Amino acid sequence: MSHDYKAVQWTPFKKRFDLWMLCGIVLYIVLFIVLGEVNQPPGESIHPVQALMRATGTLAFLLLTFILCIGPLARMTDRFKPFLYNRRHLGVTTFLIALIHAALVMMWYHGFSETNPFVSLFISNPRYDSLAGFPFEVLGFGALLIMFLMAATSHDFWNANLGPGVWKTLHMGVYLAYALLIAHVALGAIQFEKSPAYVVLLAAGATVVVALHIGTGLAAFRGSDKADTDGWLKVAAVADMQDARAKIVRPSDGEAIAVFRDGNKISAVSNVCRHQGGPLGEGKIVDGCITCPWHGFQYRMEDGQSPPPFTEKIATYATRIIEGVVYVNPEPNAPGTPQTPSQIGAPS
Amino acid sequence: MKRTHRKSHILLWLILGPVMFATIALAVLNRPAAPVNDALPGPLIEEAR
Repeated sequence: MSHDYKAVQWTPFKKRFDLWMLCGIVLYIVLFIVLGEVNQPPGESIHPVQALMRATGTLAFLLLTFILCIGPLARMTDRFKPFLYNRRHLGVTTFLIALIHAALVMMWYHGFSETNPFVSLFISNPRYDSLAGFPFEVLGFGALLIMFLMAATSHDFWNANLGPGVWKTLHMGVYLAYALLIAHVALGAIQFEKSPAYVVLLAAGATVVVALHIGTGLAAFRGSDKADTDGWLKVAAVADMQDARAKIVRPSDGEAIAVFRDGNKISAVSNVCRHQGGPLGEGKIVDGCITCPWHGFQYRMEDGQSPPPFTEKIATYATRIIEGVVYVNPEPNAPGTPQTPSQIGAPS
Repeated sequence: MKRTHRKSHILLWLILGPVMFATIALAVLNRPAAPVNDALPGPLIEEAR
């Protein structure tokens, strides 16, 4: 969590993550080029620039596929939460790798004619009515433009000025970028690469991403929690509530509610983080504060306010415990309203 | 994620998913019989054809 804007927010953990990421990228590119050269049939070879073009192209595809898997996977297992926390750095890095790939393509295939390379990109292959001969580079260019928009607005400055809703909507454009990338590879590399590895990689990547997003998306909609006759929602038995963690309940209308247990106290807040709409109920309590799993924004349990000097506020909800079962009132209090936590073991 | 974003998220994937798979399937089915690798020297391409 940051009170002021900094160019890039690096914690020691993020520095280590970025270092590992950089090492992995260099290792991938070196191995791709070396193994590609070793496995070339005798008498055949490709220029190092083309090898680098392919290495950066495949790496950008793999990284974007992984980035799109992080969100759904982090909902399924805590092991992917660290990647969620570092997703923005990973996204900007992917854009830079895609940019290197595009720059190499522009120089190698469009840089030697008298026509402007950007004009050449659109007119050198006019077979827009052909599937096998489609000018696939244009699709990659479209994906790159969207990724540029994502990378340029990835900083919290834009999130704060556009508002979390507009920012989130804008960044959903990455899904369209991935679809364009799939078409770019399918109508490009797949058409002239002999190795079936490219087809397998493309189909596997698309299948995993689509299945994860549709699967977790539908799971989130799987019914709303039914209210009791007096309007309260049943959460769970106290014994089933893990310390420092939350259960998420979904009223038939309105936003989901995160009901946290902190020792003997039970409190409920909105499940939607004020920063980027992260699922607070999938986070945990750190230093006495509810901590968003996406970027570490924090809120006090008792009033839904971020600790000073931060000013974010989320809605709180009334809770109660009857015969060892936790209930929550789905009517939200105004954001930042103090709400006394329910005490486990207190007479109901 | 807000409820509205969850809805548009799932809707987007329900549209993009089939489009992606259709693109891959059509691209694979329409592949040239003898793949051409631009990186290969000319005589080798001719020989492959």
